[in-house]
Amino acid sequence: MKTLSFLFIVVIAGLLAGLFHGIINVAVVEPYLDRAIGIENQRMFDEGQTQNTPQFWQQFSDYRTWQKEGSVVSGGILGIATGSLFGLVFAYSRHMLPGQNNVKKALLLATIMWAALYFIPFLKYPANPPTVGDPHTIVLRATTYALFVALSGLGAFGFSRLYKKMQNKKFVAFLGYAVFIGAMFVIMPPNPDKISTPMELVNGFRAISAITMTAYWIVNALILGWLWNKVQPHVENQEIQK
Amino acid sequence: MPNSFDIEMVNTSQITKTRRVVPIIAAVALFALFGLGYFVVGFDQGQLFSIAEGQMAYGQMNGVGYLHEFTHDMRHASGFPCH
Ligand SMILES: [Zn+2]
Repeated sequence: MKTLSFLFIVVIAGLLAGLFHGIINVAVVEPYLDRAIGIENQRMFDEGQTQNTPQFWQQFSDYRTWQKEGSVVSGGILGIATGSLFGLVFAYSRHMLPGQNNVKKALLLATIMWAALYFIPFLKYPANPPTVGDPHTIVLRATTYALFVALSGLGAFGFSRLYKKMQNKKFVAFLGYAVFIGAMFVIMPPNPDKISTPMELVNGFRAISAITMTAYWIVNALILGWLWNKVQPHVENQEIQK
Repeated sequence: MPNSFDIEMVNTSQITKTRRVVPIIAAVALFALFGLGYFVVGFDQGQLFSIAEGQMAYGQMNGVGYLHEFTHDMRHASGFPCH
């Protein structure tokens, strides 16, 4: 394997997809975040924690601009992070994935990893805009979310090993994962926070953020698959010459 | 064009076998990138900077950690629990 080329295309694919995710979020997810934070501000005024003054709004606007820039950079960081895991799993599983084209292989793996690491956890613990979460429960919520993602990911990994071993009746591996994650759904504690934010805002936020996360996974797979076709990092130089 | 896996299928000697495998250093590097980046965007409340700054790191921005505020919007948008 051409190690440096491999690392390079994996990180670049993650970074580009992550920046794409961050930039489209500024356009389509931020309006929901701004509305939610607006509700939060109103609460602070009502409770007398802050004065509704032009100075407040000036500071607030600067702060939000900084956070939106941070969101794009964070998209890049999260893209490199998720893309690194994706690239690593791709390198190990590429020969098992059906098809000839690395783009198709990458899209199939991305679908599996998107489901195991993002979408199934999302169904158990849906994303929330600001104002919904109670700061006092953050440790519990962070722990249960991380645990659920880890269980789902490790479960998918374990059952993929079973899938590989099974000569026939491969559907048993899918069934096994479904039973396992179904049990986790029941066993794991629910999000304890009560939602007092308008549901129309919460549901709109959930739908649009799920769409852009999904777009991120697709773009990461397309870029990695395309770069893999071009660079062929798994092929040693002398093998290409053969 | 044969890929290294095909070659391995034909020739099962030790030398070709090690070729397909991701070098352990690359695997460790990618897994570390995943762990660090996922933690920074999804979970950090000041832990990372507290390595250098101690307790101060948990309250740099109005009582909240710097990385929490910086990654805040992406944290919500990518489904991690927040406030
Ligand atoms: Zn928040």
